[in-house]
Amino acid sequence: MNNYLEVRNLSKSFEGFQLHDITFTLPKGYIMGLIGPNGSGKTTTIKLILNMLKRTSGEVKILGFDSITNEQEAKRNLGVVFDSNYFSDEWKISQVEKSVSAFYENWNTQKFSETLKRFHIQPSKKVKELSKGMQMKLMLACAFSYDAKLLILDEPTSGLDPVSRDELLHILSEYIEDGEHSVLFSTHITGDLERTADYITYISYGELFFSGGKDEFIDSFKIVKGGCEELSADLSKKMLGIRKFSTGFEALVKTEDLRQFAHLNVEPATIDDIVVFTSRKGEQYE
Amino acid sequence: MNNIWKATKLDFSLIRPYVKTICFTMILPVVFAAINHSLLTGISFAMCFIAMTTGYTFSITEKNSMERLYGILPIRKSDMVIGRYIFIIIMGAIALIFSLVAHPIILLILGESVSILDFINAATTGIFLFALYTVFQLPGYYKLGSIKGRVFMYIPVAGFLITLLLITKIPVGKSMLFVTLINSPVLLIVFAIMLVAVMYAISIWVSIKILKNKEI
Repeated sequence: MNNYLEVRNLSKSFEGFQLHDITFTLPKGYIMGLIGPNGSGKTTTIKLILNMLKRTSGEVKILGFDSITNEQEAKRNLGVVFDSNYFSDEWKISQVEKSVSAFYENWNTQKFSETLKRFHIQPSKKVKELSKGMQMKLMLACAFSYDAKLLILDEPTSGLDPVSRDELLHILSEYIEDGEHSVLFSTHITGDLERTADYITYISYGELFFSGGKDEFIDSFKIVKGGCEELSADLSKKMLGIRKFSTGFEALVKTEDLRQFAHLNVEPATIDDIVVFTSRKGEQYE
Repeated sequence: MNNIWKATKLDFSLIRPYVKTICFTMILPVVFAAINHSLLTGISFAMCFIAMTTGYTFSITEKNSMERLYGILPIRKSDMVIGRYIFIIIMGAIALIFSLVAHPIILLILGESVSILDFINAATTGIFLFALYTVFQLPGYYKLGSIKGRVFMYIPVAGFLITLLLITKIPVGKSMLFVTLINSPVLLIVFAIMLVAVMYAISIWVSIKILKNKEI
């Protein structure tokens, strides 16, 4: 099986929001970043993948298993980390293991102990005594203990200090090193993706904007800069987003349209640039 | 290990830090039985109390956003629901057994006599009342959660007050069914068990339906 996660034409309607026709695949052995501004549908997509929300239409396959008809099989090798802990605050770490391990046939107690040691988590502590970063690591330690093939993380780095964020990203990079594991993680801290992600899926206002290789994503867009007199109405139409200053402007354009902007200064776009400019939907701001 | 039993054990681990508190609530009905010199009212009170604690699992789950944990575990929603019902029933059974031992001892110390028939009637009533309370409470908690559905916590109180009223007001001699059942302990037990089983089957079915349609 080459794809650990296959999402096809996934849609969900809420009052006032619609996630429309989301399609992407995550191959085995890679990290995919799920990005988009707040409220764009990242968490909804993850909850639909996990069957926590009822989809309007579409199909999700986790490790080759349909997420509805073969839900148990699909979740047996799936690890999930949310932005906050999902264990009882009153549980000691040893109790977490007792409570969760029963559900996973391939739970490895020794691996759990080793991971706790590596993450500097004391088994005698209660969950509520752990910092947010440590709670995150505890959820990861559980997923590692049953050798979850696919890890899904929802905003794991939000609320973490830079040191913990760096540590988490390092752990994820190590996790996929053997080529047998994959990670999907949603974030709006795009710096995390520049470092670790191989693939990007970008959802903007419920619509799929892009899904593919990170480099391809970054290379598909460029930032052009120029003076006020260089900005014509024709050029503006080709710009995906523009920011005007008193002295000039900068705009995001598609690399394929670059020939028309050859007379302007061209710079590479960062993931942040792409998200910020496209999220304004071509709206000009000064 | 069966998934249903795993879910039951998971619920027990949720309650574990609160076991002492729950055990403490079982003392008050003993006092109540002693004051009223009645095994039946004591047991009814005990089952009312223990039924009021059924919301604990839902409260802890809600407080810790643990529905996300339940959402990622490789277990069917129906198994989770049945596991929780089994856990609640076990809690009720433990409370009933404790009360059936403690209350008669207190009554005997106070000089009251407790016949086998009193014992069977109290046990059957206890089982029936606990089932009656919980079959409504649990679907309510599944539907609304423990905070919005707090009203369901008071079902046992209302039930207990109605029971007290019925015990004194019911025209026992006029109801053929009631007389037959009271005079035949075996029939009473069989009838109660059948009724309780049907009630729980319907309640579990409703709860599974609710949980399957619930979005986390």
